[in-house]
Amino acid sequence: MPRRKKSSLQPLGILAAVLLIAAAFLGSALFRSAGNDPFRTVPALDIPAFLENANSLRGNVYKVEGEVSNSLAWSPSAGRLIAVDVKDETIPVLVTTEFNAMNIQRGQKFIFVIEVDENGLLKTKNLSKA
Amino acid sequence: MKRIVCFVFLCGAALAQVPDAQPQPGAAPAASQESSQGEKKPGGSSTFLGNDVPFFDPGSDIVQWNGKSWNINNNRIFEARFEKFLNAPEATTETDRAYNRILTQIMDKLAPNNISAKSTDEAFQLLPQASEFDIDARLCDAIANQVYAAWLAKRSNARLTAANQSLEKERQRLEWNSKMTAAGTSLGAPSSSDPAASEEWKKKQQLKRDMEMQPLVTRLAEVNALLKANQLKREVAELQVKIEFQALIVQHFLQRRFQHVVIGTRFYRSIFSDGDSLLRVGEDSKSLFSKTTGMPPTVGTLDSLANEAMRDVREGVQAFKFLLEKDELESATKRLAETFILGEYMPEVRTISRDDKRRALAFVQQSNQLISAIEVKDYALAEKLVKSLDVTAKDFDNSKPMAAIETARTVAAMHIAKAKNAAVSGDKSTLESELKSATEIWPRNPALAEVGGMIFSQADVQQRALVDFDQLLSQKNHRQIFDDKMRFIAATAMYPEKQEQLRKVLDDMATIEAAIIRAQEVEKRGDYAGAWESAETAFLQFPDDNKLNQVRANLTTKAPEFVRALKQAEEKERKGQLGSSLAWYLKAQRAYAASDFARQGIERVNAQLLPDAK
Repeated sequence: MPRRKKSSLQPLGILAAVLLIAAAFLGSALFRSAGNDPFRTVPALDIPAFLENANSLRGNVYKVEGEVSNSLAWSPSAGRLIAVDVKDETIPVLVTTEFNAMNIQRGQKFIFVIEVDENGLLKTKNLSKA
Repeated sequence: MKRIVCFVFLCGAALAQVPDAQPQPGAAPAASQESSQGEKKPGGSSTFLGNDVPFFDPGSDIVQWNGKSWNINNNRIFEARFEKFLNAPEATTETDRAYNRILTQIMDKLAPNNISAKSTDEAFQLLPQASEFDIDARLCDAIANQVYAAWLAKRSNARLTAANQSLEKERQRLEWNSKMTAAGTSLGAPSSSDPAASEEWKKKQQLKRDMEMQPLVTRLAEVNALLKANQLKREVAELQVKIEFQALIVQHFLQRRFQHVVIGTRFYRSIFSDGDSLLRVGEDSKSLFSKTTGMPPTVGTLDSLANEAMRDVREGVQAFKFLLEKDELESATKRLAETFILGEYMPEVRTISRDDKRRALAFVQQSNQLISAIEVKDYALAEKLVKSLDVTAKDFDNSKPMAAIETARTVAAMHIAKAKNAAVSGDKSTLESELKSATEIWPRNPALAEVGGMIFSQADVQQRALVDFDQLLSQKNHRQIFDDKMRFIAATAMYPEKQEQLRKVLDDMATIEAAIIRAQEVEKRGDYAGAWESAETAFLQFPDDNKLNQVRANLTTKAPEFVRALKQAEEKERKGQLGSSLAWYLKAQRAYAASDFARQGIERVNAQLLPDAK
C-alpha cells in the first residue's frame, strides 16, 4: 500500500490563524479603548510633581482618572471638594458648580479634566465616568 | 567623833574656812529643809568669835556660818586640803618616827603617875627637840615659852612674897615705934602746983609727940599700900600667866594638835598646882562648852576632849582600813574625811599608806567629777561615772544620780522629738523653742548634736537643692526636676513662690509622662502612627523634654510614611501650597485613618481653599 503523503502545511496554517486572530483582537481592543477616552488628547497629571509642588503646575490642564474616595467639603459658590484615589495616591479635586447636577458618589470612577489653580487646587473643567 | 568635830567647828574660827559665796548643791537641801521646818539655827543667836558662830550639823555634814551653808564633804578648801593629804606620801620616815617618839616621851614624863620635878624638867628639855621638826610648826617651842614664862611669873611671885615679908616687918616696927611715941614720957614735967606751967608743958609735949608720930604714920601708910600693891600684883601676874597658858592650850585644841593639848595641860597642872583649872573664857563660850561637851570649861575638859579625839581618830583610821578591804569606798572615804578633819596631824592619820589613800582619792575625784557633771548637766559623763563608781565602790548609792540622769534624758528626748517634728513640718519657732528647752535640760546631749547636725545638714541640702532647682528651671530641664522631685519638694517647702514654680513643672511633667505612657500603650498595640501622634501632641506642648523626644523619635522610625506625609503636608501648608498640602494630608489620613493631625490639617486647608464651605 502506498505510503500516505503527510500534510506539512497544516501546523503553519494553524499558527497563522492564531496570530491573525490575536492581531484582530488586539486591534479591536485598541480601537475600542481609544474610542472610550473622550479626553485622550489631554495629558495625565503627574502625581508626584503635583505632590512636590502644585504651584509649579498652576494654569496647566490635565486629566486624572480615579475613584472617588471621600467628600471633603462643599461650597455653594465653589462646588464640591472630593478626594480621588489615583493608583496609590489620593488627591483633592474640586468639582465646580457647573457639575452640580452630576451625582458623584464614593466608589465611582471618573475621568476628570482639571486645571491647577493659583492655590494648587485641581479644579474640574470637565469630567466623565470612566 | 562627830561631837568633837562639832565642837571644833563651833570654835572653828581658827580653821577659818571661807564658806562658798553660793551654797553648794549638797548643802542646799539641808538648808532649805531646815528653813522649811522653821527650826531656829542653833548657832544663829550666838556672838561667840564673831557675829555668827559656825554650826556643824553632823546629821547632814552641813556647816552653817554667817548665814551661809556648805557641805564639809563638798567644799573647795576642804577638798583641796583633803586631796593634798590623799596624794601625800605616808609619814613613816625616820624623822616622822623620831618626832612621834619625842612627843610620846614628853607625854609619858608628864603623865600623872610619872610626874615629878625632875620628869617635868626632862619633859621641858625635850620640847625644843620636838620643835625642831617641821611637822611641829614650833608649837612645842610655844609651849616651852609659855612654861618658862609661867616659871618666871612664879619666881617673881616669890620675890614679891619676900618683899612683902620685909614690908611686914617694917610695918610692925613702925607700929611699935608709933605706939611708943604715942605713949610718950613724963620726964621733966613741971610740978602740979603750977597749973599754968603744967598745962603749957603738956601742950609742948603733945606737939612734940605729934611731930615725932607724923613720919611714922606716913611710913606706915606707905608700907601698908606697898603690901596691898604687891599682893595684887602677885595675883594679877599669876592670873595673866594662867590665861596666856590656857589660851595657848585652846589654840592648840582648835588647831587639832591634840598631842600638844595634852602636853600643855599636863605642864599647866604641874606649874599651877593650886587646883584652879577653870578656863577664863566668856559666858558665851562657857555656855557653848557646857552645852556641846556636857562638861565645864576647864583645862581638864580640854585634856579629856583631846584624849577622846585621839581615840576617835584611831578608830576612824581602823574603820577606814576595814572598809577599804571590803571595797566599800564611799563609806571608807567618808570615814577618812571625818577622821582627817579631826586628826589631820595625828600620827595614825599621817601614817596611812599612800596606796590606800590613792584608792580613796580615785573615789573622791570621781565623786567630785560626778557632782560637777550633774551640775553642768553633762548626763552622759555622769552616767559613765556612775557606772564606774558602781564597779569600784560596792557601797556607792547610785539611785540619786541615776534618777537625775534618767529624768533629764527622758525630758530631753521628748523635746528633741518635738524639735524633729517641727523641723520636718518647717515650724521654725517650735523648732527653736524645743531645741532651747532640750539644750537647757541636757546641754551636752549627744542626740542634740545629732539633731543639730541633721538640721544644719538639712539646711545645707536645702540651699543646694534650691540652687539646683533654679538652675534646672533656667535650663528648662524639667525632666531632671521631675526625677528629683522629692528633694525639691522638701527644699521648696518653706518658699511659696518656688513651690508654685515646682508645682507647674510637676504638672507639666505629669502631662508628659501621661502622653509617653499613652504612646507606649498604643505602640504595644502595633499602632505606631497613633503612638507617634500621641507623643507628637505632647511634644508640641513640651518640646524640651528629652525623654519625650526620644520616644517620639523612636516612633517616627516605626511610622515613617505617615509621619513623612504629615510633615510634608504641614510644610506645604506653611508655604501656601494648599493643593499639595491637602494631598499630603489625605495621604497621611490614608496611612492612618484615625489621625487627628491629618483630619485637622484637612479641615484647616479646606477652610482656606473654600472659605464658605459648609
